[in-house]
Amino acid sequence: MKTPFRGFTAILYKEFLVVRRDPMTLFFMFFPPLIQMIAFGFALDTDVKNVATVVLDEDRTVESRQIVERFVNTGTFKLVGEVASSKELSRAIRTGKAFVGIEIPPGFTRDLDAGRTARVQVIIDGSNSTIASSALNSSIGVTFRESILRLLGPSGARDVPVEVRPQILYNPAMRSPNFFVPGVIGIMLQLAATFATAMSLVRERERGTLEQLLASPLSRWGLMLGKLIPYLVISAVMAIVVLGIMRWVFLVPVAGSLTALAVATLVYIFTLLSLGLLISTRAQNQIQALQMTMVFMMPSVFFSGFIFPRDTMPWIFSAIGSVLPATYFIELMRAIVLRGASLADFWVNLVVLSGMGLAMFALCALRFQRRIA
Amino acid sequence: MLAEPMIECENLTRRFGHFTAVDHVSFSIARGSIFGFLGPNGSGKSTVIRLLCGLLEPSDGFARIAGFDVAKQTDEIKNLIGYMSQKFSLYDELTVHENLQFYGRLYGMRGPRLRGRYDELVALTHLGPYLTRRASQLSGGWRQRLAMACSLLHEPTVLFLDEPTAGIDPVARRELWDLLFEFSSHGMTLFVTTHYMDEAERCSHVGYIHMSKLVVCGVPDDLKLMPAVNPPGTKRLDIACDHVTVGLQAMRHLNGVRTATVFGQSMHLLVDQNVSEQVIRSELTRAGIPHAEIYLIGPSLEDVFVALTVQNNGGGK
Repeated sequence: MKTPFRGFTAILYKEFLVVRRDPMTLFFMFFPPLIQMIAFGFALDTDVKNVATVVLDEDRTVESRQIVERFVNTGTFKLVGEVASSKELSRAIRTGKAFVGIEIPPGFTRDLDAGRTARVQVIIDGSNSTIASSALNSSIGVTFRESILRLLGPSGARDVPVEVRPQILYNPAMRSPNFFVPGVIGIMLQLAATFATAMSLVRERERGTLEQLLASPLSRWGLMLGKLIPYLVISAVMAIVVLGIMRWVFLVPVAGSLTALAVATLVYIFTLLSLGLLISTRAQNQIQALQMTMVFMMPSVFFSGFIFPRDTMPWIFSAIGSVLPATYFIELMRAIVLRGASLADFWVNLVVLSGMGLAMFALCALRFQRRIA
Repeated sequence: MLAEPMIECENLTRRFGHFTAVDHVSFSIARGSIFGFLGPNGSGKSTVIRLLCGLLEPSDGFARIAGFDVAKQTDEIKNLIGYMSQKFSLYDELTVHENLQFYGRLYGMRGPRLRGRYDELVALTHLGPYLTRRASQLSGGWRQRLAMACSLLHEPTVLFLDEPTAGIDPVARRELWDLLFEFSSHGMTLFVTTHYMDEAERCSHVGYIHMSKLVVCGVPDDLKLMPAVNPPGTKRLDIACDHVTVGLQAMRHLNGVRTATVFGQSMHLLVDQNVSEQVIRSELTRAGIPHAEIYLIGPSLEDVFVALTVQNNGGGK
């Protein structure tokens, strides 16, 4: 009779029934994070292509048209129109019709032929720094290559002396979904899983059923485990769905083993559910539980390395990131999905994650008083 | 007293910060009693129940159930007691059947023992036709029956019911009490809190708590004989007449009338022994009430609690 998990099967039985009877809870657990994932996955696309560009060609020669063509050929720029004056060009950028303006002054060809520096003015809207730096890099590349080819011309050499032969590993097309979607999965699992268990005990407290449970010989380990297991199953199903979306909607290939992926995800979910339970033992009502869940959510978005690399963060943000489960999971996910890493390569992450999970779970059971006040 | 007490507490005290919710409460309840625990809202009734169920830790004093200390031997206590909290806390999403199954399993019951007990309680509470209905779709009376069945599955020796009849209809109330008497006859000890005086009258023992202190505790008939309730040289009268409210005003102004209250079509008076029926009749006639029936009566439990509360407050008000 006196087993540490007394009452566990009863709670398990009840939780599964409650979840099945209350499809709205399940819907709210699944649906918003799913939308979030799709939205994040599509919106967080930093591949800069087809930037709207206007041209002011005051030279109107073969050479000037040629250089504009070279810009367009990079794929970064897309001509959306020609303008007749600098004023018009500025207006096009100010009103948002174009991000970039290419201005070729009169005498461009004359300067070229005379061996003087021929100037091409590139005006870039800096309000979006990602697009701006990409446009700048492409512009420099175009003009640099043009200059070298012209310098080489007289010497008769056809090739540039030094050329970079980049080999981009793991994500050769440099698609941003490959980078972002594994992170998004980490964030959305956190939202769904933490929220689910954070509400579970609080709801019983609010309804008064917790008092009834406490008057029974139910053990706290039994209660905690009974609350956790059903959501572990549900979250695991959800993880399979989102990993499927990653693979077949965002077309992110999985380089590593599925087993590694499954183990990492399961450990992460367990940690999140324990965090939710911990919140549930503290919060007095559902509003509080929701707020506490959000307290963990925001730093996970910003400091986990999900969007911004952790190496370049001020130490304090990086330190915050290092106590978040999401940080370790996202790192692990990227390693397994993109680089085909094995769990052995990243055992530290796995140990930290499971350590966090076990510690929080134990804390729940130990902190939880079988009394009401 | 033959058997040793089933529930006993001594100087049981519980403080929340500076507020003392239960203040040195002592009583003992014999096996098989129906103990009615009365008191106004916020007087500490529920706190006492929670202390006895091991849901709260006493700040001072102790309580024992069947010899087990409620503060230390909570595991033994919890298998021994059934607890039906104020709001019949059931799982609304679960059906009647599932609620019963859940509570049975919670107490480690399974197989034939659970099945047997389940059938027994379904028969006893007549829940049979509602087994597949969700708890949320039950009316107050049926919810209460289900809650009671849930708290009885594990065959508790002591059953605590916190205001089991609050908000249910009179028929359901009557039926609940019939059930309670049946349990009691099988040796179960019942601890019931209530607001209703008529329910208190049915109990074998009653206790009255006021402002965190136990005012009185005992057998109803004994309490009615207490000198504080029947001051020497007084008698209680029941006067049935028309226009009771008019009559009440007249009586309150009459010399020798200590208290006067309305009871439906009649009024109850506590008067000095020397106030004769004649005096009362003439006073009523003067107030425009020529006909009245006057009987000598004993005190009700309400009279007992009123008298003792007034006395405890130092005779004030």
